[in-house]
Amino acid sequence: MNIVHVDELELIPVGDRGLQWRPVRSRFGISAFGTNAYTADVGDEIVEEHTEGTYQHEEMYVVLRGRATFTLDGEEVDAPAGTIVHLPDPGVRRSAVAAEPGTTVLAVGAKPGEAFQPSPWELGFRGAHMEPREAVAYVEEHMGEYPDAAATHYNLACFRALAGDPEGALGALERAAEMDSESVHKWGESDSDLDSIRDDPRFKELVG
Amino acid sequence: MTGWQVAKLDEIPRAGKRWIPIRKHFDGRAFGVNAWVAEAEGEDVIGEHIEEGTGHEELYLVVSGHATFTLDGEEVDAPTGTLVYLARTETKRKAVAREAGTTILSIGAKAGEAYEVQPWEVNAEMYPLYQAGDYEGAAALLRDAVQREPEPATYYNLACMEALAGHTEAAFEALTHAANEPRLREMAADDSDLESLKDDPRFTELLSPRS
Repeated sequence: MNIVHVDELELIPVGDRGLQWRPVRSRFGISAFGTNAYTADVGDEIVEEHTEGTYQHEEMYVVLRGRATFTLDGEEVDAPAGTIVHLPDPGVRRSAVAAEPGTTVLAVGAKPGEAFQPSPWELGFRGAHMEPREAVAYVEEHMGEYPDAAATHYNLACFRALAGDPEGALGALERAAEMDSESVHKWGESDSDLDSIRDDPRFKELVG
Repeated sequence: MTGWQVAKLDEIPRAGKRWIPIRKHFDGRAFGVNAWVAEAEGEDVIGEHIEEGTGHEELYLVVSGHATFTLDGEEVDAPTGTLVYLARTETKRKAVAREAGTTILSIGAKAGEAYEVQPWEVNAEMYPLYQAGDYEGAAALLRDAVQREPEPATYYNLACMEALAGHTEAAFEALTHAANEPRLREMAADDSDLESLKDDPRFTELLSPRS
């Protein structure tokens, strides 16, 4: 049955600011729009600071429980339970912090005018929470569900590098650079995940 | 374009008693989103329907109160915080409130296609006219809507508005299109909006069960 209580969804820590991700889209295999829940305690991050510059998604956040303080292009917005924040402009820099214990927010996103495709960051967030070898296996198994994006291959390169597979990492990095060499330059420049292959001449060629 | 908009769910103007048209309020363009409210225990929050017309996948979330979903005849208990995902468009779905004020958020879109605003949302513009007694205005809106998308449920509302505006012939014409759906025939039988049609033999004929 495709029925679950939001508190029963998997809880995956993301980053170092207390953000906890509860995957919804991948839990159900939703293919028409992106959607995820996030939980955080007072003062912790509940929406990671970002723009939608990469995926161009229109986003909507619904505060389900507790209270969040959103910061939208520098402006603070108080958002108690029942508040909906709608962000049609992908350029708006957005983030939110929980103002009450157990605050829970649902996010929904998709790109207007295009068929939805799942965002590859889901693989990166999930893999970052696993042992590197486990993350490699997970990404290899699930990358087919995501568009053939540079970010997917870049993530795979990171996890392979961390798992002690430099040849595999360089292969994935090369694939990522073929698709979007500019982003690979930007991401790879100071990413400590790739330190084990940084001195390889092929790395310098791919990342600069 | 405004960069962002913020609204409390209970501050968004309702269309009719039950419907909070969220997408329309924000003019969202990437997915369908609405909320539905039942004023009293035992009332429908989500009226029984399928999504074959729209082809939408649907995700429901009980945002307050407590509901019982019925999915292809199977009952599911759904307290606040329950997510229900329906990938198959043909699943017959409904939800009834177990507490007054139960509110359910619904998100929908079609996989593999760009989102398009659904024609049935015209009803959000129709309700205020209906409530203000402007049946002519409401009928004009819906006549235009069925031209664009001939949906039985829109024809049903058109039949009501034509009947209320005193256009008996136009009302029967619209009801003919709506009456192909058993659910709408049942609804018509005790809908006071159609009172002016009920003594006409055509009404009984249209509402009789089909083989």
